[in-house]
Amino acid sequence: MSDEGHMIPPRGAPNWLPGVMAPAEEDVVSCVSCGLCLPHCPTFRVTGRETASPRGRIFAMRAVMEGRAEVDDEFATMMDECLACRACETACPSGVPFGRMVEAARAQVEARRPLPERTARRLGIGWVLARPWAIAAMGAGLALSQATRLERLLPARFSRTAPRVGLRQLLTRVPDELGEGPTACVLTGCVMDVASRDVQAATMRAVAGAGFRAVRGQARGCCGALAMHHGHPEAAKEMARQRIAEFEGADVVVANAAGCSNHMKTWGHLLADDPEWGARAAKVAARVRDLLELDLHPIPGERGAVAVHDACHHVNGQDMRGPLREVLRRAGARPVEIPDDGRCCGAAGLYSVLQPELSGELRTQKARAIAASGATVVACANPGCAIQIANGLREIGAPVRVVHPAEYS
Amino acid sequence: MATIPLSAVDRFRDILGTDRVLEQHTERLLYGKDGSIAEGDCGLVLLCETTDEVSACMRAAHELGLPVVPRGSGTGLAGGAIPLDGSVVLSVARMRRVISVDPETPCAWVEPGVLNLDVTTGVRHLGLHYAPDPSSQAACSIGGNVATNAGGPHCLASGVTSQHILGMEIVLPDGEVLTVGGPAPDPPGYDLRGFIVGGEGTLGVVTKVCVRLMRDAPTVTTLLVDFPSVTSAGAAVRDVIAEGVIPAAMEMMDRTMVRAVEQFVHAGLPVDSAALLLVEVDGTPAQVADQAAAVERICRDSGAASVRTARDEAERALFWKARKNAFGAVARIAPNYYLHDCVVPRTRLVEVLENIAAIGERHGLIIMNVFHAGDGNLHPLIAFDRRDPVQVEKVFAAGKDIIEACVAVGGTLSGEHGIGLEKRDYMPLQFAPLDLDAQCRAREAFDPDGRLNPRKVLPAGAKCGELILDAGSLPEGTWL
Ligand SMILES: Cc1cc2nc3c(=O)[nH]c(=O)nc-3n(C[C@H](O)[C@H](O)[C@H](O)COP(=O)(O)OP(=O)(O)OC[C@H]3O[C@@H](n4cnc5c(N)ncnc54)[C@H](O)[C@@H]3O)c2cc1C
Ligand code: SF4
Ligand code: SF4
Repeated sequence: MSDEGHMIPPRGAPNWLPGVMAPAEEDVVSCVSCGLCLPHCPTFRVTGRETASPRGRIFAMRAVMEGRAEVDDEFATMMDECLACRACETACPSGVPFGRMVEAARAQVEARRPLPERTARRLGIGWVLARPWAIAAMGAGLALSQATRLERLLPARFSRTAPRVGLRQLLTRVPDELGEGPTACVLTGCVMDVASRDVQAATMRAVAGAGFRAVRGQARGCCGALAMHHGHPEAAKEMARQRIAEFEGADVVVANAAGCSNHMKTWGHLLADDPEWGARAAKVAARVRDLLELDLHPIPGERGAVAVHDACHHVNGQDMRGPLREVLRRAGARPVEIPDDGRCCGAAGLYSVLQPELSGELRTQKARAIAASGATVVACANPGCAIQIANGLREIGAPVRVVHPAEYS
Repeated sequence: MATIPLSAVDRFRDILGTDRVLEQHTERLLYGKDGSIAEGDCGLVLLCETTDEVSACMRAAHELGLPVVPRGSGTGLAGGAIPLDGSVVLSVARMRRVISVDPETPCAWVEPGVLNLDVTTGVRHLGLHYAPDPSSQAACSIGGNVATNAGGPHCLASGVTSQHILGMEIVLPDGEVLTVGGPAPDPPGYDLRGFIVGGEGTLGVVTKVCVRLMRDAPTVTTLLVDFPSVTSAGAAVRDVIAEGVIPAAMEMMDRTMVRAVEQFVHAGLPVDSAALLLVEVDGTPAQVADQAAAVERICRDSGAASVRTARDEAERALFWKARKNAFGAVARIAPNYYLHDCVVPRTRLVEVLENIAAIGERHGLIIMNVFHAGDGNLHPLIAFDRRDPVQVEKVFAAGKDIIEACVAVGGTLSGEHGIGLEKRDYMPLQFAPLDLDAQCRAREAFDPDGRLNPRKVLPAGAKCGELILDAGSLPEGTWL
């Protein structure tokens, strides 16, 4: 019995596709499979399946790494079902860097998808997001279809997850420059610039109010976070290079969306192996600030109770629960906690479109919890969450308005 | 990997539907593991949601002659939930309803997949809590707690799981549903609860549990005491108990452990101290003041360098977060850990700790300590890297030495994690063949075919007296 043959599993060469980003061995082995992350994982909470848990996903990666499993449909489902919310990372006492592991695992999954599907995804994630005019065209299409109620002809899955885009939104003018002081380049982002132009305008006011000369970045220039989360590191790198070139002259770079600021801070890591861009990326990444990290001076008023929705990428990875509450207090609101332990709302980038069932469950849970908080306004500083929450509240018929904290400026 | 015949898979699909029967390769791999270091071989996974489903699945397994392993959250540290030779894993993780709460008795009926901490969270507004608090309480299930008779820091004063389980519904290996006990203080007939709690999934699948709830203490004080040596901390523990003070909890962590966990919690723990004691006292304000003063005096007499009292609830929570995340933080030292769970008489605590340190030195291994000092329940934790076969050999050898050292001073094999698979082959160190035979017969009364969690807890040959002690390695059919 003490024969070692019993103790070491049949280990082979890794089944990762060579030449494509893959989870690092040192990251994978750092999971001691204690399971302390399980209760914090929204997909495990909903399904009770080990295959939809952080520990399970990591073990699946380990099995591929040891040549005991393949990057096949089964593996793809496990990674696709993950929200990449990184709640497990915050909970993990061993410091397992789950966020970057799942991004790498997804790059492997994407590289193995059958060609037609891969092309479709590439187009959606890599191509459209890198092209401002394409996003604008899609936004206009969305607004028109919603205004003319043509959207009724689209599948329900689409109308439940798409942002509501008013025609007026698209016509809102965002100033190109505002205020005085050190230069703050403001990321316009992809989705935000279509769905919430009033928030974009408010962001310029907020940044100016914090003592900067706010300069608006190139319209609809995506930071690459969505591409990275969905397994397209090469597309993400390309977008990062474009933005870095654009932002190099700025004293600080500001993003008003949690997913963006969080991702932009990792640009240095993302391009570390790129001889031309590595150092430039690290320099710009170090100047990235989330809007909430600035010394904001919103217009004070009688605003009453406002429920606080923390975006996952503010809490997990940036440790930023405090600032949103502080801004709300400064604006004269009384921050109210949502009674659900800050569980993810299920927006998670394109997740709401790609995983409609799990996402729908989380959307409803979140909307109910917000309604239970008793507040009639909910503040949230991430566009994906805002769209998801607004849709969820509408679905359950709760009269709660969603605001971005910048709107108080 | 063993596979279950397709006709059998279809039987279970008829009961549960396709989605809740997992049979693909990687899916099954994930259910081959729990919180321990071993890995087994899972044939099929069933995700049940109701007692009826569990009963129907057990009946089907009975007719098909398939072995079944019940599973809760899979945080067990003794390999209890690990399937061997392609057993079917029956998970209750989706059975997580709180069925009813009776604030008067006070007690609650819950399903087995409800997480330990969720019970307390659900009744906190009533000023109640569920007392047993394993360090894994945020993640482990009530069913798993019942099956392992789990303990926890606060079990020092309030007792382990068995003292908090009033009743249970269990499904026997042939699908029969049995209810034992209930909220009444002394249920009629034989009281089987004490036997079923701690059954480690070998007697039946627990499908409902009636848990005793406790009223929250009016005041709580938590002290963090810093000692210049493990020996002085051990002496303080002994003296506190000897003086008749029973704190609500008394936990010890040594330096290596403190350093690892401080990297995660940032609680400002004294990373240079040789040993930390976390002592909690609760009760009326007067009692608390008295006890806290006594504890502080005794600790200082034993040489404590400093005594820090938690300022507020937030700081108290931070101290406990440090303690409860300790095992998990080990990966900051090495990627794997092998853990023992012996209990030793408190009077021999210091001697055993010194012995364990010597064992570590002898084998050239890092051994860290974090444990329930108040009741002498040690958790010596050997940090290692499973990719290094030479180290793995040493780990098992050191583990064996530790157990022998504990049993030699009158200790026992396991305080709370259970015997499961990992400690199974050590049973003969503690029990004579006659004892093992009796345990085996009691088990057979519930499971005559030996299909429920087979080859766990009792070593091979436990019945016929042909015991082969081959402890100190992983049991056959598992790997690392
Ligand atoms: C970080 C960490 C800290 C821990 N701290 C403690 C501690 O302080 N005290 C302590 O006692 N334990 C501790 N443990 C061990 C573990 O959490 C407990 O043993 C817990 O009770 C296991 O619960 P589970 O739901 O994870 O059960 P599992 O691991 O799924 O199963 C454990 C055993 O129970 C059986 N079982 C599970 N559910 C059922 C059911 N419904 N019916 C019948 N049998 C069932 C299984 O077959 C298996 O034998 C710790 C573990 C970790 C990882
Ligand atoms: S990811 Fe962290 S918390 Fe989760 S099982 Fe692994 S070590 Fe434990
Ligand atoms: S990132 Fe979120 S969904 Fe994915 S495993 Fe971690 S907690 Fe679960």
